[in-house]
Amino acid sequence: MSTVAADLETILSSGIRLAAPLAFAACGEYVAERAGTLNVSVEAMMLGAAFGSIAVAGLTGSATAGLLAGVLLGALVGSVHGALSHRWHVNTFVVGLVLNALVLGLTSYLVTVGDLGRHQVAQVSVPGLRDLPVLGAPLFVERWPVYLLLALVPLTWWLVERSRWGLELRAAGENPEAADMTGIRVNLRRRQALLWCGALAGLGGAYLAVGEVGSFNQNMTAGRGYLVIAAVIFGGWRLGRTLVGCAVFGLADALRLALPALGHTVNSQLLISAPYLLALLAMLLFTTRQRRPGALAQPFRRAS
Amino acid sequence: MAPEPALRLRGITKRYGAVVACDGVDLTLERGEIHGLLGENGAGKSTLMRILLGLETQDSGAIDRDGRAVTITGPRQAAALGISMVHQHFSLVDPLAVWENVALGQSGPVRRAAVRAGVRAAAERYGLAIDPDARVGSLSAGERQRVELLKCLRRDPAVLIMDEPTSVLTRAESAELFAVLRRVVAAEHRAVVLISHKLAEITTATDRVTVIRAGRVVLRRATAATTEAELAREMVGREVTLGAAVGVLPHAPAPAAPASSQAALRLRGLTTRPGLDDLCLTVHAGEIVGLYGAEGNGQKSLGDVLSGLTVPDAGTVEVAGAPVDLRRPGALSAAGLGIVPEDRHHAGVVLDLSVAENLVMTRLGDVSGRVFVDRRRLRRRARALADEYGITAPSLDSPLRTLSGGNQQRVVLARELSGRPRVLVAAQPSRGLDVGAVEDLYARLRRCASDGIAVLVISTELEEILALTTRVATIFRGRIVGELPTAQADAERLGLLTGGAA
Ligand SMILES: Nc1ncnc2c1ncn2[C@@H]1O[C@H](COP(=O)(O)OP(=O)(O)OP(=O)(O)O)[C@@H](O)[C@H]1O
Ligand SMILES: [Mg+2]
Repeated sequence: MSTVAADLETILSSGIRLAAPLAFAACGEYVAERAGTLNVSVEAMMLGAAFGSIAVAGLTGSATAGLLAGVLLGALVGSVHGALSHRWHVNTFVVGLVLNALVLGLTSYLVTVGDLGRHQVAQVSVPGLRDLPVLGAPLFVERWPVYLLLALVPLTWWLVERSRWGLELRAAGENPEAADMTGIRVNLRRRQALLWCGALAGLGGAYLAVGEVGSFNQNMTAGRGYLVIAAVIFGGWRLGRTLVGCAVFGLADALRLALPALGHTVNSQLLISAPYLLALLAMLLFTTRQRRPGALAQPFRRAS
Repeated sequence: MAPEPALRLRGITKRYGAVVACDGVDLTLERGEIHGLLGENGAGKSTLMRILLGLETQDSGAIDRDGRAVTITGPRQAAALGISMVHQHFSLVDPLAVWENVALGQSGPVRRAAVRAGVRAAAERYGLAIDPDARVGSLSAGERQRVELLKCLRRDPAVLIMDEPTSVLTRAESAELFAVLRRVVAAEHRAVVLISHKLAEITTATDRVTVIRAGRVVLRRATAATTEAELAREMVGREVTLGAAVGVLPHAPAPAAPASSQAALRLRGLTTRPGLDDLCLTVHAGEIVGLYGAEGNGQKSLGDVLSGLTVPDAGTVEVAGAPVDLRRPGALSAAGLGIVPEDRHHAGVVLDLSVAENLVMTRLGDVSGRVFVDRRRLRRRARALADEYGITAPSLDSPLRTLSGGNQQRVVLARELSGRPRVLVAAQPSRGLDVGAVEDLYARLRRCASDGIAVLVISTELEEILALTTRVATIFRGRIVGELPTAQADAERLGLLTGGAA
């Protein structure tokens, strides 16, 4: 195999692994935003779940149990966020930023308390397909949770576009007053959307820890939650394009990691910011507001 | 034993602070009847209906549904009780398709094919033609109204409430709506409440009528046993000269100041896609020109251009002979063009700002020092305007959304008319106003013209055009298709000129 092909394979492989947590979380954030919440606490959901998954994996000895715990922890953050901002109407950005800071502080402290150890879910490789040139290894040799995306992406799409729940949720995000008049429980739908967002962002965070890395380290999500928000905006509130955004950010991240190994020397501090700069650039160039939910980030209370 | 009425309200009272919106209201709605509800702006009609829908809770009083006492906690419960409402301001979600909006009002899984077929069937049965796949945001007011009604009817309500449904409809559309309502009432035995400020509609379309004044019921009668004059008198509480509302106004008097030859407003070749197609129109200082046509022929696009909301694809706007750079925000208003936009909630007001702020919003320069807004001056000016235009508000500091629909409209009128513009564009200015307020508005517009302001009235109402304007231009598919002095205009000629569509 030529070195170019090998390099490409390496970058693709790590690109997919880096994009996967973003994709999970983006499926969640997409739903939350369609319901009208610009949910900033994805970062907290992912980071909390990353920590929780390793901790629970250590306690139970099962990486899969850890993964599950991550999902639940993410959902917990989502329900706290939902209760605060769509029941007691605290400003959603304030709630999100406080949760992010809180989870970062808490996990940074807990990680110093004891050794969490290494836990990782099994790897699967699809016989036959894994031997395909260039694409074989990146696509068909993975930690198994990646393949959950194959079910979760269509499910998310179906829920939002085809189910009654999704219809009501979109109405709540576009025009809460009209939805309310129609008899839809706007704030309940928004809380539920946040719960879904939490569960999926949690899955993304947990995948990062027990799936990819196999351990937890301080602030291991490092702002990936914000990339997820950027991906949804970049995607113009369409699921497909949002996932394209995740792939682009994942690949950019992979490229950053691969460059030194390929013999290029670039200031590493500068490189770390590359995906974020790219996100900013992509949003500047490609964002359309067309599908922006009409009441995004606007709290709803019946006027009286 | 006589069957219980579909709905009976007993002694409903609702206060907002010092304002008593409803004061011991008794109202009985029988099956198979259209019940008209009349009253001045702010009389409490919408509040009463919001209580029936559970959007507000009464302070005291009881509601019986089919003879059983009920408490209504919200729209979903109201729907379960068979009470449904077509709103004064629509309850549709713009980015969704017609069928999705209809599905929203129902329950159970969303079956696209079934809902679309249902929409088609209901459309057929009631004569409400509509494409189930159209995006609601792209529909005209009349079509949106149809969707609202379909959405309501698909829930099979026993009580159907319509709050000023005709304020956005043309005459033909209103007539069509009443025919549908009649069918709904006669064949399907529902009870209908119809709120309208147009007395002629109440007397022709309803079986029974209730008039409320300042929250109290002042008249309850079978429609056949009353007259428009009596209804107007009871609404206002004194003898009134019946004018516009009854549609018997004589042609407008010739303007006091002869229309000067100078064009104050000149529109040349305005084109927007979709909307306007090479539209040309001139308005001289001192004249009132009417732009007449059925809803959806480009009036909205023209309003958007003249409010500075859209930049036309081609064409120019000249104010007092000088072309206006339409790409510059605020250029039109700086050039001396004032506008009362058609969709007030979209472009005219900020519902969450106070009444006072809304009143002076476009003229902050007048009430500001070098840097800061002078609150005292702002309040003084707002108070003067509110008094002059008879705006009833809980207080000048309450958010605009707490005002009744008609009073919100008065706020926009007061602000724009008092701005002393060179050119005044008023789109559907009398929408939502009660009889008295319409008369007052017409007098003010005439005074504007005689003071040398060029006035352009965009209206779908023939009576309004005939009563108010000196010259009328008809619009059809975004073009001016006819122009004549109002003195030579009548329903038939104008109808022909608008492609027979109005
Ligand atoms: N949320 C609120 N807070 C304070 N006052 C309110 C509120 N809602 C309504 N009001 C007041 O109650 C009164 C009745 O209003 P309502 O909307 O019922 O009038 P209406 O008869 O429907 O008038 P219109 O013909 O103009 O629509 C008004 O004086 C209004 O200012
Ligand atoms: Mg009203």
